[in-house]
Amino acid sequence: MAKTYHPPSVIEAIRADYFSTRLNSVVTVTFATFVAWAIWQLVNWGLINATFSEENKDACGHGAGGACWAVIDARWRLVLFGLYPFEEQWRSGIACVAIVITGILSCVPWFWNARRLSGLWVGGFLVFYILMRGGILGLTPVFEQNWGGLSLTIFIFATTTLLGMPLAIVFALLRRSELPWIARTMGVVIDTIRSLPLLSIMFTFAIVLPFVLPGWMIGDKLYRVIVGYALFFACYQAEIIRGGMQALSPGQEEAAKALGMGYWHRIGYIVLPQAFRNALPPTINQLVITFKETSLVVIIGFFEILASGNAAYGNADWNFAHVEVYCFVGFIYFIFVFALSRYGAHLERRMAVAQR
Amino acid sequence: MFAALKDKSTRDSAAQLGFVGIFILLIVVFGFTARSNLEAQGMTSGFGFLERATGWGISFSLIDFSTSDTYLKAIWVGILNSLFLGVIALTLATVLGVAIGVMRVSGNKMAQLIATTYVEIFRNLPLLLQVFFWYAILTTLPRPRDFADATGPIFFTGRGVYLPGLNVTGLSVFLVFAALVVTFGLWIWLKSARKFARVSMSQKKTRARGIWITWLVLSAGLLWWGRIPDSSLVSQPFLKGLNFREGIRISPELMACIVSISIYGGAYIGEIVRAGFNAVGKGQSEAGHALGLSQFQTFVYIRLPLAIRAVLPTLINQYVWLFKSTTIGIAVGFVDFFMVISTSINQSGQTLELIAILMGGFLVINYSMAWVLNRVNDAIKLKGNQLRT
Amino acid sequence: MTNSHAVRIQNMDKYYGTFHALKGIDLSVAQGEKVVVCGPSGSGKSTLIRCINRLEEYHAGSINVFGTELDDNLDNIDEIRRETGMVFQHFNLFPHMTILENCTLAPMLVRKQSRAEAEEIAMEYLHKVKIPEQADKFPGQLSGGQQQRVAIARALCMKPKIMLFDEPTSALDPEMIAEVLDVMVKLADEGMTMICVTHEMGFARQVADRVVFMSDGEVVEQADPKTFFNAPQQERTKAFLGQILGH
Repeated sequence: MAKTYHPPSVIEAIRADYFSTRLNSVVTVTFATFVAWAIWQLVNWGLINATFSEENKDACGHGAGGACWAVIDARWRLVLFGLYPFEEQWRSGIACVAIVITGILSCVPWFWNARRLSGLWVGGFLVFYILMRGGILGLTPVFEQNWGGLSLTIFIFATTTLLGMPLAIVFALLRRSELPWIARTMGVVIDTIRSLPLLSIMFTFAIVLPFVLPGWMIGDKLYRVIVGYALFFACYQAEIIRGGMQALSPGQEEAAKALGMGYWHRIGYIVLPQAFRNALPPTINQLVITFKETSLVVIIGFFEILASGNAAYGNADWNFAHVEVYCFVGFIYFIFVFALSRYGAHLERRMAVAQR
Repeated sequence: MFAALKDKSTRDSAAQLGFVGIFILLIVVFGFTARSNLEAQGMTSGFGFLERATGWGISFSLIDFSTSDTYLKAIWVGILNSLFLGVIALTLATVLGVAIGVMRVSGNKMAQLIATTYVEIFRNLPLLLQVFFWYAILTTLPRPRDFADATGPIFFTGRGVYLPGLNVTGLSVFLVFAALVVTFGLWIWLKSARKFARVSMSQKKTRARGIWITWLVLSAGLLWWGRIPDSSLVSQPFLKGLNFREGIRISPELMACIVSISIYGGAYIGEIVRAGFNAVGKGQSEAGHALGLSQFQTFVYIRLPLAIRAVLPTLINQYVWLFKSTTIGIAVGFVDFFMVISTSINQSGQTLELIAILMGGFLVINYSMAWVLNRVNDAIKLKGNQLRT
Repeated sequence: MTNSHAVRIQNMDKYYGTFHALKGIDLSVAQGEKVVVCGPSGSGKSTLIRCINRLEEYHAGSINVFGTELDDNLDNIDEIRRETGMVFQHFNLFPHMTILENCTLAPMLVRKQSRAEAEEIAMEYLHKVKIPEQADKFPGQLSGGQQQRVAIARALCMKPKIMLFDEPTSALDPEMIAEVLDVMVKLADEGMTMICVTHEMGFARQVADRVVFMSDGEVVEQADPKTFFNAPQQERTKAFLGQILGH
């Protein structure tokens, strides 16, 4: 009897995906059990038996009951804003939102033009800085020592990227220079800095630099660390940009030369715009990593979100609530990082289509 | 003069001289400022301090270290600790990463779901956060005294994980493990390098057997050498009073570092492995099936070797990067190379020299690791563009 | 010094490392003259015209373009690049800009024209190459023949005194070669000085004032088309013509 075709029913589809061979079935069943058990435990601990508000504080803690999300209810301001003065914390909040909006707007293709993009970021950053620092427009001044929590993390990330990106372009151009001494020196510098741990570079800039710099250049520890981080970021990003430039066909630069365009015109109008388009996915990946690694400044002594999280459960009242606090901090990181990497994946897909 | 600047070769030479000149100028300026600063603070420069006794102790050390040992020895302890953590964490991360990668390309949707969730969670959180998290959990485990009626050889307590162990020095165990990694590398090289392509299968098998036997003999020798006198070979932890005696204790600091770097590294390596499998053209597996090979055979003999070759360069970068991340040990108090340097700076004030040692140490380790792995890569990589199907 | 030579190459040598790519080249092209350079692959014909606008450097001898000496002086190099236009085998249009932007970029940046001026000139030349309606499209949306015509228009927008063509039709599908050759014929009729490296012998017969044959880095023979095709002198020329016209 001849077979006729019918589209696979739901049962057949499930069988194909999950149970196609004996090994597959065993694997599916084992994993499914594990997943079900894990989800049950999590839901039990995290939602059903959990306490959410501060008044019910005594219901959880010291092994009794479920998750103590009450700690977040009690301490979220500390985690997000650090030691920023209580009455001014709204400024910190708006400043963070401003940067987030700037970030979202950067994803809109209308802004993908060197002038508009830099204008957008300089503008967004100025808004952030003025709100945080105060001192003008009738806002009370709040100095950098008192910035903390999420706003400090965002500040370090934004400043590092704003400083590091132009530096990365310069490094990349120097490294691919046709003059051998320049290219080789730059190569050695970039490779050396990339071989060193970020923590050691931050540490060096924070602790060692005051020794080797003339007094007027020393500056505040926060800005020294940011410069160090920007240097590190620039070296990694320079390699990414260089990869983007290498993917460009040499005919492009030749055509620009043949038209009589000078070096800076060629670089600015032809090479860099195309190199950046090529290098967009790894760049986004690099930005994600940079955001995560700002956490390292904790070790240098800055009070960013990880440190403020540690402080949040670090007192006698809440010292059992470490898991909940870390989950909260992790969740905040996760939102930013996940959004950025999803966007990167989206860009990658779009560019793959465009290149067909 | 300006006319001369219009000449390409003059301009090129001037640019190169100027560029290198700026670097030299910076170094000179830094040098002079440093010297005058040091003089003003009455500190001596130079590496003589390395001969001085440290006056402080180190909580975890593979070789003997007391407070009267020199700074130089302390630095060695730090380097060994970093290497110890690095080798263990990188190995575990690789095992985990390969498992996750395989799960993601397996075709079993349940496995893919779990692997994807794992990667998305642990890749998107900072390593430091994960270290703090695990450290907090490990230190809030029950104290040793609460294990009075517990049996069974491994104890997870708030003061560390207690396991039965051999009464040998930590250094000898580390050397055995390092020898294992080297032997494994040699075995892979023997199996996959183009150089041995003409060698017959049976000859390769004999050589491989020879390599492994050498390792066994070497390990036995090392353990014998590292034996602690006047004690039994195996020591079991047992509770006496408030604490465990005997056995091996893995401190919460070390455990937290190992666990977090392995899990974090595993997530990244998993992604790399997945990319490797995707880089192997579908045509290769199709050819395998057409020849009658089973799924499993196609996987082991065709997809896996090609995937490894495809990702080895990326993997090398990842290993270098992961090794650098062992510096987070300082966040929880594990005495790695970086922590030794930073404590030494605090205690002795010889900032510049110690930073130079720190940078130099990491450069040497990273370059060596990259060099060795690149040799492996060159030996096993495919010539030409065969992977593009 | 009056100089009716558009391009004058004297005793020019070029090396790639130790490989002697161009050997003692002597070539003069008068203003308004159309020269076709042909020869087997590896003969150095592309290298030769790329030396003229300094996309490649030469090592001995001299090259003089419209009275400007081509040496290490950056001002001279810029001047020469402004006055020569080049059309490449692989078009090399800028993919991230529209057709119009491709044509207006260099005039605006290098000749400092205003956007309105540049666009007017660009549309004029796009009309000339018969694709004005594509002005707002991107290169990726055009066919090969259309892209090459845009490339010609782009070079012409700089109002060069001489046009260099480096195998302009070699990367095109056969049905598109004619449309590009038509544009080049029209350009020639209008009096543009042209040096064209090509395998299109029909074009050479129709348009060239002189055909230059190169082999192994040397100029072997040069003559007007009639003499060149009907009565070649050198053995190598005869062999080449036999191969290329034989089928």
